[in-house]
Amino acid sequence: MNLAICLLMARRFIEKTQIRQVVEGYHDLSDAAFERTFERDKDELRSMGVPVETGSNNPLFPDEVGYRIRRKDFELPAIDFDSAETAALGLAATVWESATQEEQTVSALAKLRAAGVDPDPARLSGLAPSIGAREPAFATIWAATGDHTPIRVSYRGQPRQLEPWAMTYRRGAWYLLGRDRDREAPRMFKVARVDAPAQAIGKAGSYRVPDVDLDAAWRRLEPRQADTEAIVAIRPGRAVELVRRGRPVEHVGTVPAGYEVYAVGYARAADLVGELCAHGADALVLSPLRIRQAVITELTAVAGSLA
Amino acid sequence: MTSAEQVARLLALVPYLQSHPDAELGTTAEVFGVSTEQLLEDLNVLWYCGLPGGMPGDLIEIDMDTVAASGRIRLSNAEYLARPMRFTPDEAMSLVVALRAVRELAGGHVGEGIDSALAKLERATGAPSPHVAVAGGSEEIRERLTEAVAGKVVVELDYTGAGLAPSSPLVAPAQLIVRDGFGYLQAWSLERGAWRTYRLDRISAVRVTAEPVGDIGEPPAFGPGWLEQRPDAAEVTLRLAPEAAWIAEYHPIRALRQLRGAIEVDLLVADPAWLRSLLLRLGRAVRSVVPPEAAAGAREAAAEALAAYGAE
Repeated sequence: MNLAICLLMARRFIEKTQIRQVVEGYHDLSDAAFERTFERDKDELRSMGVPVETGSNNPLFPDEVGYRIRRKDFELPAIDFDSAETAALGLAATVWESATQEEQTVSALAKLRAAGVDPDPARLSGLAPSIGAREPAFATIWAATGDHTPIRVSYRGQPRQLEPWAMTYRRGAWYLLGRDRDREAPRMFKVARVDAPAQAIGKAGSYRVPDVDLDAAWRRLEPRQADTEAIVAIRPGRAVELVRRGRPVEHVGTVPAGYEVYAVGYARAADLVGELCAHGADALVLSPLRIRQAVITELTAVAGSLA
Repeated sequence: MTSAEQVARLLALVPYLQSHPDAELGTTAEVFGVSTEQLLEDLNVLWYCGLPGGMPGDLIEIDMDTVAASGRIRLSNAEYLARPMRFTPDEAMSLVVALRAVRELAGGHVGEGIDSALAKLERATGAPSPHVAVAGGSEEIRERLTEAVAGKVVVELDYTGAGLAPSSPLVAPAQLIVRDGFGYLQAWSLERGAWRTYRLDRISAVRVTAEPVGDIGEPPAFGPGWLEQRPDAAEVTLRLAPEAAWIAEYHPIRALRQLRGAIEVDLLVADPAWLRSLLLRLGRAVRSVVPPEAAAGAREAAAEALAAYGAE
C-alpha cells in the first residue's frame, strides 16, 4: 500500500535505493529481505492491474532504473451517469450466480461508488436477471480471456491450443471466440464442450486481440437465416412458434379439416423435422415431400418402438 | 502483512471514504462486500499508510474514536488518493456482462438507460466486452410487464405453454427473471391461487387492468435447480443415440452417462407435456425410457399424428 502511494506521488522515476529509504516498512529490512519484499510487492501491484512503469530519468544513463505509477494510467476516468443509468448499475450486483464474478462486480461497483456514482437498484425492483457459469472450464477460460493468456484445452476429447479473444453468453451457454493455433484461424468454441480446466501455455498479454468484427462473429451463432419454406397445416391456436415465424397462405391441394395453412421458413431440414414432430398432430407438414416423409418416419418410430 | 486483495480494496476504500464523509461502518462493509470485522482491520492497516517519510503529518488520518463511538468513519489527509483505480479486466468484464443481462430483460426507457451506461463504461475501460443474449420475447411485452410490476396492477396475458392450448390467465406480476438462458415472468395466478412462471417468449400479449395487486408476498426462490424443489417433479431416464447428446446442452439434466454406442441421461420432469414434446422431437434417437409409462403420452401423440397424416 505504501509502495503504491509512494510511486503514485512520484513525478519522476524513483530508484530502488530511494524507495528503500522512504517507504515505511522497507528501511529496517536486510539487503536480501528488502530485495525479496520489494520484488514481491511490485509484482503484486502489477498483478492487481496497477500500472507500475520501469524507466530512467536520465537518457544518458539508461541503466539507472527507477519506478513510477502514472496518475492518468492509474485513475478511473471520470464517468457521469444519469439516474436511469445508475438504476441499471445498481441491479448489476445481484446478476451473477458464480461467486467469483459476483465479487468482481461488487468490487467494480465499489470503485464507481468511490468515484462518486451511487448505483440505486430500488427503481428496477421488477427485474431479477441472473447469469450462471456452471461449465467446469468457465473460470480458467474467463481469466485467460481477461488477461490474454494463450491456453491449451481438451475440446470434445481433442487437444487444442487457443488465443482467447472474447466470450459470449447465449441461451444459457457460454461461448469463446479465439484463434486456433493449430488451424491458424479464428474459431468459436462452446465452453460446455471443453472437458477440463484450461492450461496456460504462455504469458498473459503475449498476443494481441485483432480488430475483427466480433459482432459479426457472434451473429453467426444465431440460427441461420431461413432460406427455404415448408407448407404446414396448423390447428388454430397451436404451434404458436411456427405460426409466428410463418405467413398464412392459400393451399392448392386438400387441407385437412380444422387446420389453417402457413408457409414456414427454415434453414436446416433436420431442425424443422424435429420441431414438427414435437407438435404432433397440431402441425402437419404438407410439402416438401421429403420433410413430410422424414416426419412420418420419426413418428412411426416413436409410436411403435417405445413400448 | 497485507494481501493483494486487501491492497486493491484499500485503494478504493480511501477515495470512497473521502467522497462519502462520515460513512456508516455497516453500509461501507456492504458496499465492499466484506464483514464489518474485515473493514475494521482495513482501517487499522490504513492507519499506518501514507506519504513516504512516515512522519505523523504524512500518514492518513482516521478518527478511530468516532468509529468506535458512533460507527461513522472520518478519513482525512489522503487528498492524493481521491480517485479509485481503473477497473481490472475481470471487474470490467463481470460488470458489463451483468449489465447486459439486465438489458436483456428490460424494455423501453430502462433499456435506453442501460445502453448509454454500457457505452460509457466501454469507453472508460476500452475492453472488448462479452455479449449476452437471453430468449426474452419482445421488448414491448417486457416493458409492459415491468411497468405493471412497478404500478402493482393485475394483467391479463395471452399465453401458450409448451404443448398446451392457448390461455388468457389473469395474474399479479411480481418480477422478470432469467433461468438457463430463458426469460420468465414470475406471477401470482389469480385463478389458481398459486405462484406460476410464464416464459416471456410465449407471452404474445399483455393487457393491463385497473385492478390493484393485493398482498401477495414474495415469489418463491427460482434458483439453479429450481425444478428439484417442485414436489411433483419425477425422474425419467432416457437412453439415447450418441447424436442426441445435444440434449445435455439445452435441457437441465441431472446426470449423463456414456455407454458403449449410446448415452444415458437423467431428467427431472415436472410437466408431462414437456416430456412428450421432447420425446417426439428426439424421434428415432430414443432407445429406451425408464419408467416405460413415461413414454405413453409421446406414443399416443405420435399415433394420433400419424392418423392425421393418413386421414387428410
